[in-house]
Amino acid sequence: MDAASSLSSSIQTTHSKPGYLPGTSRIGRYLLIGLAFFFTFLAISPFLFALTTSFKTQTDSIDGTVIPFIQYQPTLINWEQEFGLGGTETFKSLRNSALIALGSTLIATILGTLAGYGLGRFKYGIGNRNLVSWFMSQRFLPPIASVIPFVLLFRDLKLIDTLPGMVIINATFTLPFAVLIMRDFFADFPQELIEAALVDGAGHFQTFRDIALPLATPALVASVIICFSFAWNEYLFASVLATKEWKPYPMLVAGSDSVRGIMFGFVTTRMLIAVTVPVFLSLLVQRYIVRGLTFGAVKG
Amino acid sequence: MLVLKPMMQKTSAKYFFLMPGVLWILAFTLFPLVYSLYLSFTDFRLGKEPQFVGTKNYVEILGLDGEGGDDKALETATFSLFLTLGSTSMTLIMGTLIAWVFNHDLPMLRQMRAIITMPLFAAPIALGFLGVVIFNETNGPLNNILQGLGFERIQWIIDPWGARFAVLITDTWQWTPFVFIVVLAAMQSIPEDLYESARLDTRSNWILFRRITFPLIAPALGTVALLRLVETIKILDIPISLTGGGPGAATQTYSYYVYQIGLRGSFQLGDASALSYLVVIIAIIISSIYFWRVRARFD
Repeated sequence: MDAASSLSSSIQTTHSKPGYLPGTSRIGRYLLIGLAFFFTFLAISPFLFALTTSFKTQTDSIDGTVIPFIQYQPTLINWEQEFGLGGTETFKSLRNSALIALGSTLIATILGTLAGYGLGRFKYGIGNRNLVSWFMSQRFLPPIASVIPFVLLFRDLKLIDTLPGMVIINATFTLPFAVLIMRDFFADFPQELIEAALVDGAGHFQTFRDIALPLATPALVASVIICFSFAWNEYLFASVLATKEWKPYPMLVAGSDSVRGIMFGFVTTRMLIAVTVPVFLSLLVQRYIVRGLTFGAVKG
Repeated sequence: MLVLKPMMQKTSAKYFFLMPGVLWILAFTLFPLVYSLYLSFTDFRLGKEPQFVGTKNYVEILGLDGEGGDDKALETATFSLFLTLGSTSMTLIMGTLIAWVFNHDLPMLRQMRAIITMPLFAAPIALGFLGVVIFNETNGPLNNILQGLGFERIQWIIDPWGARFAVLITDTWQWTPFVFIVVLAAMQSIPEDLYESARLDTRSNWILFRRITFPLIAPALGTVALLRLVETIKILDIPISLTGGGPGAATQTYSYYVYQIGLRGSFQLGDASALSYLVVIIAIIISSIYFWRVRARFD
């Protein structure tokens, strides 16, 4: 976490001093600190509970204890079950999740960066605001409405339960994030740098590639992480379109209860595996979360 | 010629950047949507050729034929509405409260802020399963804590209202951080001298909040509320994993119902498409309000 926060501070290039309210009185201040700790604890206590439960045997997991070594003897049995001898399915679905998320992130980021550069730098006849809204509107549609046509489309194209199929789906649903984050960045980009390169005889694409893109790294990182996380977490489409060979990890999580009833240790272990990657990645892009998730409507 | 050439280059360049994304959305968002609209006017089931039936599906769902409509659709839509209003208001209230606390000069503020945002990026399907453990009636930690504090144990999963609130609490827990970070960002952009001059007139934090903070964060709150509304309409993963829609259909959301009609069991794709189009219309209305509010920023 330390490495993560130091990395995140290096990404935060322009962290302005916020106008904090000064604490009024000493007691009031202690009260506020207490509340802040309380809310922080509330936010992560379910994760902490999952963590401690994942190191318990089935018998221990329902006894209400929480402190390892002192209250109960921790065991790796759940983790061994998940990754040990019977772990083939685990590794396979984690690999699937990683490939689907990486592939779709790559496509969404490339398309999103190009479109974001266009929308940030040029004026279009239709109106940039309409184009941006149009890209965004995709994210507002209830996914349930597009599942059915996708099933039929993919059946005809033989894309059901394939990597390209899952990549297309997730690239489609994460593209708005990439477009919005990159547009936001390029709209604030110093135009003089671009004009100077153009005057020097560089082409538009060359200018984009050699001047704008290298400076866009922080925004690119944010876009990649947000797209990756959403693709990694996607369940609805996977549950219909990737049920066998290309089953991603959330599908395995969804099967946890039917396999063994409610085994606390087993369920919490799988849950932790599912959330670890995106949750830790998100720590790297704190500065972009606000803008990214409100589609640039609120500046963070 | 010398003047014209770069201009032409610029025109082709700007479409070169934009078009790949536009084409992608046309192919994979607009086409499915139009296809689904067509399906909603058919009696399509898997294994049967679609036949055009006009507005029959819509008429039957909405009960325009005088036969009472689709009760299950109404029931699940009611639960979705409960969830939408409940989660939106709960996350707004909690998020604003936490943001107000964090808008003071406190130690370890950035670290705590980062920790609070963690649930936001967790897979909802996984959080639902964590909920299965946390809300477990006999051995779950929540009931243990409630009992420890002297309250009655709650039948979270067995009782319809217990289950409804379990879903609501899980979604609220995941999305409060979103409201929190957005509202905190809005609060931190309020200039400090506004508070300083106001403090000459009043010492009440409540008056400061009501007269200065709240009016200035109101636009951000509106934006967040609209985003939360469209997001909560989509909720599906948490009820699937936490309650399986039960007991009965008490926690089945509208999306969940459409999912079952169209993709589980009978595969009534025509009916499901019509059902899903009704929610598309609602989403379009809410998102239009959203775009109307924020689109000026995108020129």
